[in-house]
Amino acid sequence: MKLAKALVMRLLFGVLSLVFISLVTFMADELAPGDAATAIIGEKATPGAVAALRQEMGLDRPWPIRYVEFVGRAVQGDFGKSYYGTKEPVSTILSQNLPMTIRVATMAILLAALIGISLGTWAAVRQNRGADRFVLTLSTLGVTIPNFVLAPILVYIFAVQLDRLPTTWAVDRVAPDIYYLILPVVILSLRPMALLTRLTRSSMIETLNQEFIRLAVAKGVPKMRLVLRHALRNAILPVITAIGTSLGFLLTGSFIVETAFALPGIGREGIEAIQKGDTPLIQATVLVAGALFIGINLLVDLLIPILDPRVREAAV
Amino acid sequence: MNSPGAKPKSRKEIAFWFGVGFLVLLVVFAILGPLIRHDPLVPVSKPFLMPSGLHWLGTDEQGRDVFARLAYGARISLVVGFTVQILSLLVGVTVGLLGVFAPRWIGMPLMRFADGMFAFPDILLAILIIGVWSMGLVPVIVALAITAWPAVARLVYTQALSLKDREYVVASQAMGAKTTYRVVRHVLPHLTGLLMAVAMVDLAGTILAESALSFLGIGVQAPQPSWGSMINIARLDMQSNPQLLVWPCVILCLTIFALNFVGDGLRARLDPKRAD
Repeated sequence: MKLAKALVMRLLFGVLSLVFISLVTFMADELAPGDAATAIIGEKATPGAVAALRQEMGLDRPWPIRYVEFVGRAVQGDFGKSYYGTKEPVSTILSQNLPMTIRVATMAILLAALIGISLGTWAAVRQNRGADRFVLTLSTLGVTIPNFVLAPILVYIFAVQLDRLPTTWAVDRVAPDIYYLILPVVILSLRPMALLTRLTRSSMIETLNQEFIRLAVAKGVPKMRLVLRHALRNAILPVITAIGTSLGFLLTGSFIVETAFALPGIGREGIEAIQKGDTPLIQATVLVAGALFIGINLLVDLLIPILDPRVREAAV
Repeated sequence: MNSPGAKPKSRKEIAFWFGVGFLVLLVVFAILGPLIRHDPLVPVSKPFLMPSGLHWLGTDEQGRDVFARLAYGARISLVVGFTVQILSLLVGVTVGLLGVFAPRWIGMPLMRFADGMFAFPDILLAILIIGVWSMGLVPVIVALAITAWPAVARLVYTQALSLKDREYVVASQAMGAKTTYRVVRHVLPHLTGLLMAVAMVDLAGTILAESALSFLGIGVQAPQPSWGSMINIARLDMQSNPQLLVWPCVILCLTIFALNFVGDGLRARLDPKRAD
């Protein structure tokens, strides 16, 4: 069966991507000056002491062996210990921060999909009219204006001037969490929203020009039903694939938004790790974020044949 | 982009020339701005001064001249942008051409490596490189170049693959031309226009990425200003001095728009069919 073969190939590609990301993550540290031994013992230690520690930690062995070990431990959730602070295991730090990132990203992608698909459909139905132009201009702005410009501007309007929303996340929150998350979620969702709007629009326009739609119009199907049941169901598949791709935007956005709003997520934690030079934490952040990115894209691609009978049948 | 709502041609022309004009001004601003009046790196007056004849855009939280700092930021943006684009074009074109014209055992692994790097989310790769190496101007340039070249390599690969079998290239091969001669005389000239247009749009992406990294505090380091770090610092005094936030945001957005307009315009000039 071709479909099974395609799915296996896709799965294999996902695994390969993961291996590649882990290899690059490992090699990046390998090629950089300094290693774990110098980081732990400090710059001032004698070369002899560094060499002894290196041997004790097994850093003197060839890199392929250490890479396999690195992956083996990472698979079990062991990313080593942080160089700084209380030298907590990196996995503990990550598990404290990951929920916030996932929470904000999920809310953002849902918002983006909801509004993006609605706006795109509306624009397609009103093709070349005022509403369509308006939506297109808006989505161009959404793609072009960067998050880190939008974040301070919206904070200034809604938090400073109107005083409706808090400026940043706080440990002692006086209002329900959602008040603190509105601005970050909206800002994070804008780029994927703009992307999904454009894609829904072009996919809908293509679908609306097809024969079966004209037939449905001729049969007198009510317009609402025509657009939602007949056209959108067909047009939405590329949009679903794009939801996976737009996770890339979300990833970039998470770093910005979490920094701008002081949200305790892996984005902010990763930036702090870089500022301190906490290599194990940086590597783990990149690995976990990369694995999430690959995993969700894989999931989306596997979902398509389930949703679309045409893909299923064409492949048999 | 095949927008059926194609705007009248004149409006796109205006956007293109606005873009060109703005970029010329930006280059002049970047070269002369930091020189004409105040040193951008040290305090020259009281902090938080409003715009005046002496300080055209006022002063920042340390009393440094905002006009000079903005111009210095333009320098950083342009230097990072152009260096990254040149590096990524050099590597990308070489790898892409090797992928097509070199023996398979060289070309194949190179292109698969490019594919792998392309799939690696940009921000993660940049953060990884800066993270294990160091923060600052040079690491940012290297990190962004490493994230940028795979897209160029893939583009050059697909383009060169179709050019390779064009009649005039095959004819030249039949006449005994060496591979290097064919590439340099027949393939590369066809790619330059497209690469220019793509580089313009990528330049916008690079400038944005540099600003984003500096906004996050892991890019260009103080006292050197970048538009991104200026935005980040201005956030803190937003309540009392929102004007400091305005300048870097406006100039950054205008630059991004200008580069996109120029890139689109170049592409339309190259390929009038697709632009309509």
